[in-house]
Amino acid sequence: MMQHRSHIYGVIGEFGTPEELLHAVEKVREAGYRRFDAFAPFPVEGLSEALGLKRNLVPAITLFGGLAGGIGGFFFQYWAMAITYPLNIGGRPLNSWPAFIPVTFELAILGASLAAVFGMLALNKLPQPNHPVFNVHRFTHASSDRFFVCIESKDRKFDLAECARLLQEVHAHHITEVALD
Amino acid sequence: MAAQEYQAPESVSRVQQRALTIGGVALLVSILGAVRSPRDFYQSYLMSFLLILGLTVGSLGLVMLQHLTSGHWGIIIRRPLESATRVLPLMVVAFLPIAIFGMKHLYSGHGDEKGWLNAPPTGEGALSDFQKNYLTTSGFYTRAAIYFVVWLALMFIFNILSKQQDANPEDRALRLRFKMLAGPGIILYVFAMSFAAIDWAMSLSPHWASTIYGFLFVAGQLISSMSFMIAVVVLLARSEPFASVLQKRHLHDLGKLLLAFVMLWAYFDFSQLLIIWSGNQPEEISFYRTRLYGGWGVVAVIVLVFHFFVPFFLLLSQDVKRNSKVLPRIAIWLIFMRLVDLYWMTRPEFTSRAMPTWLDIVLPLALGGLWLGFFAFNLKQCPLLPLGDPDLAEAIEHHEH
Repeated sequence: MMQHRSHIYGVIGEFGTPEELLHAVEKVREAGYRRFDAFAPFPVEGLSEALGLKRNLVPAITLFGGLAGGIGGFFFQYWAMAITYPLNIGGRPLNSWPAFIPVTFELAILGASLAAVFGMLALNKLPQPNHPVFNVHRFTHASSDRFFVCIESKDRKFDLAECARLLQEVHAHHITEVALD
Repeated sequence: MAAQEYQAPESVSRVQQRALTIGGVALLVSILGAVRSPRDFYQSYLMSFLLILGLTVGSLGLVMLQHLTSGHWGIIIRRPLESATRVLPLMVVAFLPIAIFGMKHLYSGHGDEKGWLNAPPTGEGALSDFQKNYLTTSGFYTRAAIYFVVWLALMFIFNILSKQQDANPEDRALRLRFKMLAGPGIILYVFAMSFAAIDWAMSLSPHWASTIYGFLFVAGQLISSMSFMIAVVVLLARSEPFASVLQKRHLHDLGKLLLAFVMLWAYFDFSQLLIIWSGNQPEEISFYRTRLYGGWGVVAVIVLVFHFFVPFFLLLSQDVKRNSKVLPRIAIWLIFMRLVDLYWMTRPEFTSRAMPTWLDIVLPLALGGLWLGFFAFNLKQCPLLPLGDPDLAEAIEHHEH
């Protein structure tokens, strides 16, 4: 088995209902696997918890983007209005901070939303034009009426026969080896 | 889901008793202040009155907002909100001291600055023609009566319909009626509150005007009312029946709304500052000249930091919004900051010394205690959840996580 390890991405099992999927995911986790994923045509309530997904970094990235946008926005105005191109406007101080606040606020929002979108994409490793699971012919059903669990070969415990047996135990309909390419 | 299952727990009666005792004692003590220095008394009284008015009519606004948007958050707090609106008769009584005795102490200016009650007919400090017709004693009384009639009418409509809904569950037509009334109701509430803010607070300095002034009060009232509701549901959840009803996702929703109201309030407050600062007109900047320098400047910074920045950054966090220990503390803190903000809005018109008197502690306790006692009494009159609401089952359903 070990010589195959570098050529396969993992083992995938197919399920007919979200309940079967949840059950399978729980069992796979209990068996000690960590590098595995579930695929469903619609959001399944409780799946993230069953997969043991940890809180992600998107909120922190968003906060950072917002702060960077706000602070950067303020100091860019300050730099322009007070240092490089000082203009006397109605005798007001050069650093007229109340006038800078609306733009500061807008840039904080812009920074936060851009950071949220691109942070999410980066953490998901998107865009990703291809994925090894697409090599499994039946995987097209993942977008319509079937549910899948794929145990990846990167898992420290991974053993092809052992994983196949586990998936069989949780009543997967088709168990397929996923080729890397 | 029988009605008796959702009766208020014993603790509500205890809160009622304690609040009424504290409120009653504080009120008696404060009467001493009313005799000795009526000016100080009515200045504190106005501030305290505006705070509990915010809890009452702010809840009215939230009830109508809930009917318009029909979110789950509102179903959980609807009965506490309705109980808060039913304190309105107390507000009418609480307004009488201002109307009967307090006016001459509040609206006669101080020192050389004349108020609208004693403004000279001509020359410097005279009111404009419009103001002469608007800021009159009889106008003040008539308009106050109209505001209270509008609020009382809305309060009766929404409480009676809600009671009807308990008896006729699943009545979709009734819910449509709620929606049809809530839209115009919100407009009436905001109009009445805007004018009330002008009459009762902005007219302290009759020569200064701001068009967003009423909205500052409306946004502040939404903050205080939502804060109070968060504290109430968390306290109720210490015992059954609410313990098995309240979930983290409810707190999360209420926390999100509180964050939105804090931002709305800051947005309105800053808009006023920015426009007046940009215009730089002598008659407009007087508001900030008295409030941004010296001791009042310190209070302004306290309001900016603790009414906006600290709650804002805390409430950004999802963990804080879902935390049933931290969120109610922020909420109660915000109610206190509402009082500080009202202090900063009204008091600088009377004195340049930014030091609270002993009445500033006793009177909020007195009016707040009586208000809370009345609220607790109201809360016991109905089931704690709107049992006839078609969305109730979904709103209190437990998800698996």
